[in-house]
Amino acid sequence: MSRQLIKGNEAIVKAAVLAGCRGFYGYPITPASEITEAAAAYLPRVGGTFLQAESEVAAINMLYGAASAGVRVMTASSGPGISLMQEGISYMAGAELPCVVADITRAGPGLGNITSEQSDYHQVVKGGGHGNYRTLVLAPHSVQEMADLTALAFELADRYRNPVVLMTDGFIGQMMEPVEFPQAAVGPRLPKWAVAGTEETRGNLISSIYLNSDELEAHVRQLEAKYEIARQRETRAEELYMEDADVVLVGYGIVARILKAVAAEARAEGLRVGVLRPITLFPFPTLHFKKAAKRAKVFIVVEMSNGQLLEDVRLALNGARPVEFLSRVGGNVPSHEEVLAFVQAQARCCAESEQVAHV
Amino acid sequence: MATITEGPRPMAMADYKGRVDPDWCPGCGDYGVLAAVQKALVELQIPNHQVVTISGIGCSSNFPGFIETYGMHTLHGRALPVATGVKMANHELTVLVTGGDGDGFGIGGNHFAHAMRRNVDLTYIVMDNQIYGLTTGQTSPTSQIGMKTKSTPFGNVEGPIHPIASALACGATFVARGFSADQKHLSGLIRQAIEHKGFSFIDVFSPCVTYNKDNTFQWFRPRVKKLEDDPAYDSGDWLAAMEKSILWGEEIPIGKFFERTDLPSLDEAEPVLKDGPMVGRPDHIDPAIARAFIEELM
Ligand SMILES: Cc1ncc(C[n+]2csc(CCOP(=O)(O)OP(=O)(O)O)c2C)c(N)n1
Ligand code: SF4
Repeated sequence: MSRQLIKGNEAIVKAAVLAGCRGFYGYPITPASEITEAAAAYLPRVGGTFLQAESEVAAINMLYGAASAGVRVMTASSGPGISLMQEGISYMAGAELPCVVADITRAGPGLGNITSEQSDYHQVVKGGGHGNYRTLVLAPHSVQEMADLTALAFELADRYRNPVVLMTDGFIGQMMEPVEFPQAAVGPRLPKWAVAGTEETRGNLISSIYLNSDELEAHVRQLEAKYEIARQRETRAEELYMEDADVVLVGYGIVARILKAVAAEARAEGLRVGVLRPITLFPFPTLHFKKAAKRAKVFIVVEMSNGQLLEDVRLALNGARPVEFLSRVGGNVPSHEEVLAFVQAQARCCAESEQVAHV
Repeated sequence: MATITEGPRPMAMADYKGRVDPDWCPGCGDYGVLAAVQKALVELQIPNHQVVTISGIGCSSNFPGFIETYGMHTLHGRALPVATGVKMANHELTVLVTGGDGDGFGIGGNHFAHAMRRNVDLTYIVMDNQIYGLTTGQTSPTSQIGMKTKSTPFGNVEGPIHPIASALACGATFVARGFSADQKHLSGLIRQAIEHKGFSFIDVFSPCVTYNKDNTFQWFRPRVKKLEDDPAYDSGDWLAAMEKSILWGEEIPIGKFFERTDLPSLDEAEPVLKDGPMVGRPDHIDPAIARAFIEELM
């Protein structure tokens, strides 16, 4: 397949179909509606089913049903809809069912507005539902990554038998860029644990109920062990100009693109600025941060939310280095100039403290 | 004309004009519904502060901003539970709930059934355009079979819900259908609905001129037939209402399908509310009652 110019939201669906997705149940919401619309158009062509559910509560529960039967399934939504899905996501994590949920974020709280914010971080990355569970979270920052990480999301969902969330902002969902799709498609196959309606799978039971406390504790420990393996194997981050960076810029989604441009300009001015972009938000790329902290003097977190990513960066650094913070919310995007000025000030600050140290 | 004119002068249309001008597309059916609601309030002379307009999310759900009453713009699909809460707190308020077919019959479908079953005393006006307008044109629970929308590119294969029949089946005590282009008729229905004590449901054909190219004003005009024009029709006859409710095609009935007044509304049935609304009661408990209660627990 050659490169095609395509919208981020649409790229997700094409990649999902190629990754073997055969069920999509969703409810329209800006800025994620194109995913639902594209699924309505593409899935029937490969023998998949599409339903416009009556709500996100219904949608996630439809995924629950189809995933139990062993079908690769997906849904997509934004802030308020993702909030509604949390109960179902918790149940699916508890019942160890794979599914992929795309969250194309918008601004809140409440109805907020339809412009881009990154304020779903807490509800998605920390788990907005009840109980001891996690979702794996991937954060694309380009249309190509919308495709690539969707494919990865299905793979991880199956490998860990757990919901995987693809989280990005409305910009990445709505923008068009050239994308190269995989050459081969994954064919649907039936997992061993599915309730497939055959003689062999009659004994399979999909449930998140453990009435006995010890059994539930054992179940939760086993889920935790699974998340621990994911921590060791699945963390991903992109590093740019990080070999000698004094100042490390941290951000994901659309913000990461601004940071890359700012870093390039700062470098041209002779400032040693690098970018560390988490691609997996859970598991968080803690080791990348630990490594960077060995040399860097300061970390700057830039996010379109009120200090949500910031918390994870601080946890990862565990006090090893100071963390500065630049935030815009409400649908406002930190401008190139704004970030650059902030970075220049921090870089100067670093240089001064170095001089003081030499005296 | 109503006779209650306690204020210095009777309320006029302008008194119910909201602080924000509607931002609906030019020609949207919802303008007609807004005018009909305002006209009904003028006729009933209900002061602004005694009315609460509550909606969910959608083009039609922007309604509370466009009318000068108390207003609540709540979650998508959840206007009815919010309105039920308002009624429990202060059942002396006139509660209008406004919204779309997706909001009311899709995401809010279960609330629709239960608010009617409870006979909550409110007026629920659905601006039914058989499409999702705000999210730019996906299928709705009232879209017809075969309809092509952005989420049914090959044509809708699902049958629509029948709002009137559903309301009748769920126990609504006032059930009507209006057409946004016939404002006089519609405002008459809204007026009766507000006067009705109990759950009043009005499904209004309110065409979306931007995204529904099938069920347009032109499509409805020759089809709608007023039940009131048939002298033999008895709106107290539930079975007759059911029969009329499923008619669709060359002839589509509008008007009052059904009304019954022999059932208590939720606030009338709830013993706690017999002495008046919860709001405005003294916020402390009589010490003697409190002591007796505590002793009972010991
Ligand atoms: C939980 C949640 N899911 C989805 C949305 C997006 N959304 C807003 S309005 C709407 C449907 C609008 O259709 P309808 O209720 O028929 O009203 P109309 O716009 O046609 O008047 C949707 C899906 C939302 N606001 N919240
Ligand atoms: S999109 Fe349709 S329902 Fe919404 S304001 Fe425009 S005409 Fe009305």
